[in-house]
Amino acid sequence: MMQSSPLNARRAIIWIGRLVLGGIFVYAGFSKLLLPNAHLWPMFMLKFSVSMNIASFAQQVESYKIISPEASQLVAHALPFVEIVLGLLLLIGWRLRIWATAITVIMAGFLAAVTRAYLLHMDINCGCFGVPEKLTGMTVVRDSAFTALALLMTVFAFREAREPHPWSAPEKV
Amino acid sequence: MREDPVNRRRFTTGTMLFCLLSNLSVLAARAMPQVEGVTDIDPHKAFGSKNAPITMEIFSDFQCPACKTLFTSTNRQLMDNYVSTGKVYLIHRDFPLPMHAYSRIAARYARAAAQIGKYEPVEQVLFQNQEKWEQTGDVDGTVATVLSAAEMTKVRALVKGGTLDAGIDKDSALGQIYRVSQTPTTVFHSKGQTYPFAGVMTYDMLKQFLDQLLSQK
Repeated sequence: MMQSSPLNARRAIIWIGRLVLGGIFVYAGFSKLLLPNAHLWPMFMLKFSVSMNIASFAQQVESYKIISPEASQLVAHALPFVEIVLGLLLLIGWRLRIWATAITVIMAGFLAAVTRAYLLHMDINCGCFGVPEKLTGMTVVRDSAFTALALLMTVFAFREAREPHPWSAPEKV
Repeated sequence: MREDPVNRRRFTTGTMLFCLLSNLSVLAARAMPQVEGVTDIDPHKAFGSKNAPITMEIFSDFQCPACKTLFTSTNRQLMDNYVSTGKVYLIHRDFPLPMHAYSRIAARYARAAAQIGKYEPVEQVLFQNQEKWEQTGDVDGTVATVLSAAEMTKVRALVKGGTLDAGIDKDSALGQIYRVSQTPTTVFHSKGQTYPFAGVMTYDMLKQFLDQLLSQK
């Protein structure tokens, strides 16, 4: 009788997705807060560094010309923290289906924004990580790959939840 | 033994030359503003008291939208509240980015205007009309709107003279030392410490930061 092994392609992709996307989201969040200005001490230096980095990120969000300047400010203040939390939750693996779905939706949004900017030949920075990074075709390719990985990870996470682990105890009759 | 008149003349001439050169070098040093930790200050593009507790060097590009935002949101209040009151010594540095076709030309015109004491109005008109002249490249026409005919003649002569690029290149080289990778970048000097910050800041943020620096013991 064939039984699925504990480690198969589906579970491997889930693990890879968790590690890669979780790590990238945590890095993206921290880099938006701490780059390019990283004066950490004393406290007022850190506050000023973070304020300036968020202000720069808000400018980058606004440069996409999708949302209003006020909404850009809101996104700039919230998104880095959301990315850090989601990344950590993905790495931990708690309630995986929920957070994998959230990350897939966010990645799809990023992909739509960068693709639109690329097709409109907008000369802007990606705003993906803290340091200035020109938006090019490679940005679209990279985001496409991450979105595909997120989607696969989410789909497989749902499938894994429907199928019991082959080594789990059978249900009592 | 009789004195050799030729040797005595040579000695006297040499001594006088040495004294003259020493005095000239001292005078040259006095002519350049001296601020601890800051070199190559163009006095035409520096504002405020060089004894101010804080020195701010702003590396900017006239064709950079973020630099325009920084200028329009902070410059007037910074000049009124901190530079004029002796709290900040403000130095403008040119850092034209290679992807901006007309930023170096704009920097030349601004430097030329600085030499005739008209840096501020030219800086203002360049930033305020950035969207227009970056499309057409008409930096000359933009600057001409705030200068008289005689002043424009002097500015054009300075721009054509080709001597202004040396100053721009010095500023750019200094920016490399500070690891400036984007504009605007503001470098704060206070109590022997140097703090470079890249990006735009609002006046409120800047005010809080400057007040904190000033209150440090």
